[in-house]
Amino acid sequence: MTAPFTPTVAEAKAAGFQPGRRTVEVVDHRQLADAVHRLTFRDTYIAQNARPAQFVNLYAGNPLHIMPRPFGVADVDGDLVSVVFAVVGEGTREFARLRAGDHVDVLGPLGRPFRLERPSHYLLVGGGLGVPPLINAAQKLAARDDAAVTAVLGYRDVHFADEFFTQFGIGVHSIDETDGNVVTVLERLAADGMFDGGTDENGRRFEILSCGPLPMMKAVAQWAARHGFATQFSMEQRMGCGYGTCVVCTIDTAIGRLKVCSDGPVFTGTQLGWTD
Amino acid sequence: MNNQYDATVDELEHAADDAGTTLYGDHEWKHPTVVAGVPWKNPVGTASGTFQLAACRHFYDVSQMGAITTKGVSPVPWDGNPGVRTAESPAGTVNAVGLQNPGVDHYLVDELPKLKELGATVVTNVAGHSDDDYADVVAKLADSPADMLEINVSCPNVSAGGMAVGTDPVALSRCIGRLRKLTDKPMIVKLSPNVTDIAAIARAAAEAGADALSLINTLVGMRIDIRTGEPIIGNVTGGVSGPAIFPIGLACVWKVRQALPDIPLIGIGGIDSGEKALEYLYAGANAVEVGGAALVDPTAPLRVALELEELLDARPELAEKLAKGDTWR
Repeated sequence: MTAPFTPTVAEAKAAGFQPGRRTVEVVDHRQLADAVHRLTFRDTYIAQNARPAQFVNLYAGNPLHIMPRPFGVADVDGDLVSVVFAVVGEGTREFARLRAGDHVDVLGPLGRPFRLERPSHYLLVGGGLGVPPLINAAQKLAARDDAAVTAVLGYRDVHFADEFFTQFGIGVHSIDETDGNVVTVLERLAADGMFDGGTDENGRRFEILSCGPLPMMKAVAQWAARHGFATQFSMEQRMGCGYGTCVVCTIDTAIGRLKVCSDGPVFTGTQLGWTD
Repeated sequence: MNNQYDATVDELEHAADDAGTTLYGDHEWKHPTVVAGVPWKNPVGTASGTFQLAACRHFYDVSQMGAITTKGVSPVPWDGNPGVRTAESPAGTVNAVGLQNPGVDHYLVDELPKLKELGATVVTNVAGHSDDDYADVVAKLADSPADMLEINVSCPNVSAGGMAVGTDPVALSRCIGRLRKLTDKPMIVKLSPNVTDIAAIARAAAEAGADALSLINTLVGMRIDIRTGEPIIGNVTGGVSGPAIFPIGLACVWKVRQALPDIPLIGIGGIDSGEKALEYLYAGANAVEVGGAALVDPTAPLRVALELEELLDARPELAEKLAKGDTWR
């Protein structure tokens, strides 16, 4: 069923606009862990344009739940786009019911992505549901000759996303709560001499891209500051529209009260005031 | 699933008919309206608080709207409310932004000239914590290229001004009377539904010099987190918008039109389709604005305008009245 007015993605692009909300087909749904789901849908525009840390709005097909839920783009395969989410309330429960062949409304990609211009050795540091949005960064960075990438991942229990990083040939160091957290892993890697001299064996400076719970990211920021590594964090906040209009998802940063959806979700540790 | 919150069978059939419509061609709008002497190229505008140029201009040509109503503009930059600002509610949402905005001086050199350069008809929403605040902003806008001013005396989420002014006929009359002396621009007063008798408030605004009325602003509401027992929103209460408030806004427009046959009215509240816009026009509105629907689809305001145009094609008598600045009732 198409909406009463739905410009096609091609029409929007031809006129120089971003496509608005549209209906796409669900092609796969997998449960990765208790209450953690991976949903895959077909959308060429998002697949071609989503950059690491950008997110998509998904809209439940229930008129009582009108507001979108934002999910970071996890991985992209051809024209297929996957997101990973946990069921935390009635809205996300709607998405957990979707199956291959169903349809869902989407908008995106949205938000400002990680900056990956520098030829660094990127440390992807993720925790819990902050891990999947780093998959797209791993995917893009693994394809580059001028950058290196290592993943440091923390989970509550099931290491549900490791395989999505290893498929790109990336080194993955993961941990769960029985053993510690991502900073435990970073300290171990430091003790092994990985960060000696501030560069890797090819002379690449280390740089951190992180997404996860707020206390984790703050701890990562402090660890990075001790080592002098640049940091970028993908923030989460309760959102409304997701595209910069409603101004409900603000956070207070060192450079002012900013919107997570369109000023972010990526901010540097310096912008967040976490590096002092 | 479709784009509508609550599509009826009729709407879904209408949907199939419209599949080929495009937002992006050169559209010749057939059914203009007039609000307080200002021509709108179609009867659909954006509602204050749900349009931000930097965000929306990526999705559609903003000059195609009947009018663009800006977010509230205050005399100095406002930081808005701290803490959580939004919570979903059944068929709607509760928001308490607190009119965060960079202030009138910034607006005059940034958003307003950009909107005019793009060719938009601009309604500037004026916010304040006091009569002095409103007067400061209106005075600064008096010589600006804004086409109309909308006085926001109905925001439920600021500690002073806003709804405190717009729910008291005496305070409202004093405020609007003072602003009337400061500008010749068409002045719209935006009304709150959080009153016992909206017609009495409407009359006070009209008698104090309002050229038009827009209604409704949001309804006061809240949500509580049952895990903590505490309010979800930092401001405790917020304003409810979305499809849930559609029949309330419609009834308010009806009541005010019955009480005041001549003043131009802009109907707002839960409009997410051409059909719902049309109900407001039949209730006596000269124009409508799309608010909450824009938060769930950036292109919703233009979609509503296109749908309404088709509905007006089939209703030449109504279209003719609107084009002359008249209303159905």
